[in-house]
Amino acid sequence: MNRAIEVEAISKRYELGRHKSGSLGDSLRHIFTRDRVEEDSEFWALKNISFQVNEGEAVGIIGRNGAGKSTLLKILSRITYPTSGNIKLFGRVSSLLEVGTGFHPELSGRENIYLNGTILGMRRSEVKAKFDEIVEFSGVSKFIDTPIKHYSSGMKVRLAFAVAAHLEPEILIIDEVLAVGDFDFQKKCLGKMQQVAGEGRTVLFVSHNMEAVQKLTSSCVYLVEGRLNCMSDTKSVIGRYLQRSESGLNSTYYNRVGSSDIYMKEIKVVRGFAGVEHSWGNELTVEFDIVINRETKGACLSFQIVNAENVNVGYYWLYASDYDFGAREGEIKIKCVIPEAKLFEGKYWITTWLSDRSGLRLIENLDRICSFDFHINNIVHDEYPWAPSDATYLDKANWVFEGSSPVTIKMPRLRQ
Amino acid sequence: MDKRNFTLIVSSRPWWKVDFRELLDYRDLFLVLTYKDLRVRYAQTFLGLAWVVVQPIVTLFIFTLIFGKAINVDTGGVPYPIFALAGMSAWNYFAFVMAQSGGSIIGAQDMVKKIYFPRLVLPLSKAIVGLVDFVVALVLLGVVMLYYQQPFSSNVGFVFVFFLFNFFCSLAMGVWLSALTIRFRDFQHVVPFMVQIGLYASPIAYPSSMVPEKWQLYYYLNPMAGIVEGMRWSLIGGGELSHYSYISFGITVLLFITGVLYFHRTERIIADIV
Repeated sequence: MNRAIEVEAISKRYELGRHKSGSLGDSLRHIFTRDRVEEDSEFWALKNISFQVNEGEAVGIIGRNGAGKSTLLKILSRITYPTSGNIKLFGRVSSLLEVGTGFHPELSGRENIYLNGTILGMRRSEVKAKFDEIVEFSGVSKFIDTPIKHYSSGMKVRLAFAVAAHLEPEILIIDEVLAVGDFDFQKKCLGKMQQVAGEGRTVLFVSHNMEAVQKLTSSCVYLVEGRLNCMSDTKSVIGRYLQRSESGLNSTYYNRVGSSDIYMKEIKVVRGFAGVEHSWGNELTVEFDIVINRETKGACLSFQIVNAENVNVGYYWLYASDYDFGAREGEIKIKCVIPEAKLFEGKYWITTWLSDRSGLRLIENLDRICSFDFHINNIVHDEYPWAPSDATYLDKANWVFEGSSPVTIKMPRLRQ
Repeated sequence: MDKRNFTLIVSSRPWWKVDFRELLDYRDLFLVLTYKDLRVRYAQTFLGLAWVVVQPIVTLFIFTLIFGKAINVDTGGVPYPIFALAGMSAWNYFAFVMAQSGGSIIGAQDMVKKIYFPRLVLPLSKAIVGLVDFVVALVLLGVVMLYYQQPFSSNVGFVFVFFLFNFFCSLAMGVWLSALTIRFRDFQHVVPFMVQIGLYASPIAYPSSMVPEKWQLYYYLNPMAGIVEGMRWSLIGGGELSHYSYISFGITVLLFITGVLYFHRTERIIADIV
């Protein structure tokens, strides 16, 4: 079997504070003071990563946030370069780090298909040959000659996906792009990608969505803190990932270097009142500290509360239509106060989503961070012990005895 | 050992090894981006292409009033508007391309951070977009010459030669500035100054012969000095070109080669520092 990708001893170092483009004054000062890079300001995003992928294989890349997945992806896509090591890619490569790259609002759907297609590496003749198919897949044929600024965000996403789905490279590198778009369309795209993988093409797929990884890939590369933890068949790697992410308990998330225009600097799950554990019926607060480096009209924030079985049990959102918090540069603090949290006993995480309204761009997705324990010890329930499978959610309820003198019992009763 | 063709990703590459073949492979992207820029430039502007005409006419009017009437510069018998327009044709192209390609990488940062392509495509496409301005200026010049009954010079074939210099000079500045702007945002503010100062530091409104002999050498260090004079010479004639012009042409070649090399060096760290 032929090799498609050979990754050999890839490392990537970032120099914090100095890697952003700055002002001329700063650089002149650096020349004169000759200050060395302090060890503290160095950061190895990847260290000594090696693996091989055979032709026709579909391989997932998984790991927690900050494990180096996106750095690896950027290096494989030639957007950034390794500090050391080398990679060989046999065959034509297309990488899809987002959909709709280069879309211009003033241009029509037709023009944007050509623009986006050639940006993704297709020839004009190829786009032309597949044009009808792309339009049909997108389902926006009626508006194909309308400037896309008049499209809804859903239409834009569909058009963007339609172009991406018709790429025919020998090696396809896909980021978490599946996270945008409506569910049915996501399924359609996943199907199309599965077809791509089935046709003997090599696919590298980075995702937080374990279900998608499982469906699409046969083996996985697991990154932990910039190092290769293991590469094996998908099922066992995912098992390892879930097990490990449960042991990584940290109720605060902190990121000192953001990789995008908007990023979460800090997230904390806070108790309602000091000194008491998170418990049923009490206030639960999630605090966000968001850095906005570039004003982004239409930024949306949402998060989910995820339980130990990886089930999303709660969803909370603040969309741009509710409050356009990304419209000004700076650092903002937002907190989401849930006045009466009604979770079941157990360990929980949160998963956060930052995106922009056009829906074309997922800015940041943090998966299973800020773990916290939730207790229901304050509820009187002494006759039977709780079992983990009893519920995922406990609500208030009134029990009413009907009859000549109706009695209402408010449940649950709280311990005094 | 595997003998198939492959793409190699390594930490460093030779500083001199600019891959022009790859640039050719991306010609379709280049064409589509150029088309996009042209479309977007005039989309939704009411007067559309007229803006390209209006701007030089206003400048011409001011120049004619100040340099033609008030100062009365010696144009060697050529009507002043023709004299000024011939110089402006080269300059306007330069100013447009320098500004546009200079900002082309920063302007496309969302794209640059998401997908690979030879980054040189961006400044290069702007140099093509600027052709519109150049052609419009030439047509305008033709109209004014017709009005004054002034014939084209017999050197008119040299327009292509000087345009080539003009093209490479503009592109060189654009490539330098786009790479520098990535590292130092300060350069964004430098461009308008350069356009403003250059307009008077180049022989557009006046002939270069007005510059005292002892300053001529330094004057022609400005590459556009030789190019503007050359363009005017090939369009409407006049005396021999100053032998100092060769300095300008030499500087142009130097700027272009160093610009491409510097860009080549900076290109790979764009995504890390933008």
